[in-house]
Amino acid sequence: MFYDLNVPWTENVRELQRTVAFLDELGYDVVALTHTISGKPPSDLTPPIPTTLPFPVPPKLRLLRRVTLHLTDTSTNHLIPQLQQHYDLIAARPTSERTLQQACANLDVDLISLDLTQRPEKHFKFSMLGTAIARGVKIELCYSQAILSTDPSAKRMMISNIVQLIRVTRGRGILFSSEARSALGLRAPSDVINLSSVWGLGHERGKDGVTKEPRGVVEFARLKRESYRGVVDVVYGGEKPESKKQETQGKGKNAQNKRKAEGSEEAAGKKEGKTSNRQMKKNKKAKTGGA
Amino acid sequence: MVRLKNRYLVVNYLYPNGNGQQTGKDSLPGALTFHQPTPDEFHQGKLLRAIQENVQELFGEYGMGMVSTSLKINYHSTATSTSIIRCPQAHFEIVWAALTFMTKLPKPIDVPVVVKAVRVSGTIRKAEEEVIRRAKELIRRARVGEAGPGDAEILKDVARQVAKSKDAEPMDVDESGDESESD
Repeated sequence: MFYDLNVPWTENVRELQRTVAFLDELGYDVVALTHTISGKPPSDLTPPIPTTLPFPVPPKLRLLRRVTLHLTDTSTNHLIPQLQQHYDLIAARPTSERTLQQACANLDVDLISLDLTQRPEKHFKFSMLGTAIARGVKIELCYSQAILSTDPSAKRMMISNIVQLIRVTRGRGILFSSEARSALGLRAPSDVINLSSVWGLGHERGKDGVTKEPRGVVEFARLKRESYRGVVDVVYGGEKPESKKQETQGKGKNAQNKRKAEGSEEAAGKKEGKTSNRQMKKNKKAKTGGA
Repeated sequence: MVRLKNRYLVVNYLYPNGNGQQTGKDSLPGALTFHQPTPDEFHQGKLLRAIQENVQELFGEYGMGMVSTSLKINYHSTATSTSIIRCPQAHFEIVWAALTFMTKLPKPIDVPVVVKAVRVSGTIRKAEEEVIRRAKELIRRARVGEAGPGDAEILKDVARQVAKSKDAEPMDVDESGDESESD
């Protein structure tokens, strides 16, 4: 399973269709379409990416929806819990040293995506990126700009940044994605792995960067949204008997709402937590009793 | 007796925006959209020069020196958009990266292209087998999608080219009769 977690979403349907078809041709299995929010956040947070795309999608390909939030200051941080309900993945793109520090330390995002075409304000530090990686937040490297840019100095900057990041993170928690605005900027997974080994990451780690690490991000994000506190998840609840159907459905709905509310506010009140626990237990009982 | 060790890269040329020759690319089945024939002007010499230029751009004189000892195009078919490139075993990554960084066919043709290395092999025999397997697979996919004309010609061309390359160069079946550069 190969992952490309950053394909910019465009209004241009033909271009997007070609890009998606080309990704399938190159052998990717999971692709995340990215919507970028920069500057002032819009009042309507519902994603512009439709759940079913207006063209036939290759059957093997799994599409996810992702949002990249440009962090210019701390004012947009409150949006993250709301965005979590609309998107499958949330990435942060810090624009300054301070926001990078914050994103690494305590923002509830799935990915940190760095703009590699610019010189970083300071050298990256392991203590900073290490905390992010320890929390399960991965660092994303986008390769397409390095390939497509005709300006040699931009290419040089990009490569030097990537090499630095690889050195600083000790090769841990790095994943590769394309951020290709056209199909031309995409490369096959094997080519990306080779590039990573040229850049000093090694074949094994490079392969993890397009398979294992992004899979971790996707699954972790899914668990965060759907499961109970990221620990317990009902994969298949079994068929419900006819007679109890009405009752259990009602309860299930209630519990779902609770869970969502809880997910958005990590530090929910103690009291609320207690009742919800009880609710969960009750719910579970009802379910197991039913099944 | 020490043999000079090589790697053989099997590469495919994919055309995300069409190859600039056909306009009605929407009529093609999905499987064939990106696998279009390469323009005939892009011959072996041009490919070799393009690789050298890219290696020069990315790795400079060092890269050229490392690679140029045994860089060679063993097989190049424009009809199937496939090539086999020989490069030194220790530094095949340099050649591969140079190919990855290729975005256009060289100057007069100037068609956007994505070069995909589909196989890295230690012997040319395995590389050739992979080429044949790929061509067959592609034709099968095209048939399933839409039985278009010209499939048979592609298959014939593959068979002919492979036969030619087999005649031209002894294969790596037994290690002794390999390249003449062994020392």
